[in-house]
Amino acid sequence: MSAPSLAPYIIKRPWLRRWVQPLANWYVNAAGYRQLGLKADDILPEENDVVQLALKRLPPKEAYDRVYRLRRAFQCSVSHQLLPKEEWTKDEEDTPYLTVLIKEIETEMAEREDLEAMVVTKRQAKANAGK
Amino acid sequence: MIPRTTACRGVPRALCQHAVRPAQRRGLASPASGSFQYQSGDAKGVKFASRDFAGPTTTLALVAKAGTRFQPLPGLTEGLASFAFKGTERRSTLRIVREAELLGAQLNAYHTRENLVLEARFLRDDLPYFVELFGEVVSSTKFLPYVFSEEVLTQVEFAHKRFLANTVDMALNSAHSLAFHRGLGTPTVSASSIAYTKYLDYDSVEYFSKIAYAKPNFAVVANGADHGELSKWVGEFFENAPAEPLDNKSVGSEQTKYYGGEERIAHSGRNAYVIAFPGSSSFTGKFYKPEIAVLASLLGGEASVKWSTGFSLLANAKASAGTQVITKSAIYSDAGLLHTTITGGAENVAATAKTAVELIQKIASGDIPKEIFQKARAQAKFRELEYGQDQRAALELTGAGLVHNTQPYQIDEVAKAIDGVTEAAVKSAAKSLLESKASVSAVGDLHALPYAEELGLKI
Repeated sequence: MSAPSLAPYIIKRPWLRRWVQPLANWYVNAAGYRQLGLKADDILPEENDVVQLALKRLPPKEAYDRVYRLRRAFQCSVSHQLLPKEEWTKDEEDTPYLTVLIKEIETEMAEREDLEAMVVTKRQAKANAGK
Repeated sequence: MIPRTTACRGVPRALCQHAVRPAQRRGLASPASGSFQYQSGDAKGVKFASRDFAGPTTTLALVAKAGTRFQPLPGLTEGLASFAFKGTERRSTLRIVREAELLGAQLNAYHTRENLVLEARFLRDDLPYFVELFGEVVSSTKFLPYVFSEEVLTQVEFAHKRFLANTVDMALNSAHSLAFHRGLGTPTVSASSIAYTKYLDYDSVEYFSKIAYAKPNFAVVANGADHGELSKWVGEFFENAPAEPLDNKSVGSEQTKYYGGEERIAHSGRNAYVIAFPGSSSFTGKFYKPEIAVLASLLGGEASVKWSTGFSLLANAKASAGTQVITKSAIYSDAGLLHTTITGGAENVAATAKTAVELIQKIASGDIPKEIFQKARAQAKFRELEYGQDQRAALELTGAGLVHNTQPYQIDEVAKAIDGVTEAAVKSAAKSLLESKASVSAVGDLHALPYAEELGLKI
């Protein structure tokens, strides 16, 4: 479930990126998931077929780490605490490990839709031969 | 109005017919079927052969020297066969399937003990599309972990389950492994789940594909395609295939040795009993013995005419009508196995197995009427010719011949060799069977099924 995003548009324009980057950094910190040791992809809504399939396709190690992060965050949330500062998710650790798979599955599904909706026409050479 | 394409196409065809005609002037009884008259060639290191068979459809096959005999780890051949026609760098699995469907084609991938075959059947005009598809499968299939776990592994598991329920398959595979141990003896499907839990993985399949799909290890064979056109497309689309195998350890290519022995497997399904002896290699191999084929049809077990028992010795001597007996001479490139498979109720199977050994002793002592021997020889010849005419078998044999660099399979000479088999030759072949070690495999009710020693066989 990838939501529409302005990010590619902004990243293409360095001058715009220089303005928006500090704002984005502030927002990510304020969102609070990094203080619980989560990655952005850990909090994607997963109650749909696409993300469920993407979760199944995760390599075993990544799937294990994801569950670990989720449980740790849940524990923190229950006990009304944040992780010690050195365990917060760092900027370079916050990678889109799941979004890549989701996008792949979405292209697959879009391709299926396209093929279903296809209108078949005779090849030109054959059409001429039939006349 | 005459369409242009038809007008042009008529000319080469007319020329072809003209060229072929002298060969067809032989008498009607001549076995010159033409099914093995393939033209072969080499396009940038890829061996190919074709036969311009007049007709609207083409069968294209890619024969790789990657059967279970040549797999370095168990299950790899099966994995590679299931990975065929899965997503490549350029196309997804779904697109390959849909495009093939739109062209009205059939895609198929299967393996035997010695070869892995990718096969496509389609309308004649679509040749370039399918040669390109084969080129893509060979050089740019994506061996993704999730494709492996979602699609390939499920098929391998199904094959394993089917194998466990099929006692005849179990007995035959067991007899092969008793006879040849490694190499040819490797079971054709995963005999236990170890194969796919321990050895089979997407990266091991990818590694094997770099060996199996290297240019010296496969050949492209077409039935019903113009030779020049096939040569052009093969040269164009197989450029990216690896020129040399990734690993030069040649698993399974050493000369097969016969061992023999006995194995008994308890099973609650149907009873299957296999008695096997060293047989004949294929005609192109070094150990070709035409008398084994005659001996196989002499023992027989199946009728070739409906509602009759037929002439073969076992068909007339089996314990009950419900007992099924088949004798076959399985031929491989450098060895063979003559095996009799008996299935049915345990007591009947036991009795029939005893009879089978007695019959071989009878043949060895020369106690067989001349008439039955002649019938058996005629049937062996017919079977051989019919098998050679069968499109699938011919494609695989031709491709294997190209890959293994042996002489082409000449059907006329095989028929001649069988014609030359004398009663004395069959008698001495039967004698040598009894002197050599047998491979006996019993699956089912072990209380009723006899040991080989009880039948009077040497183990």
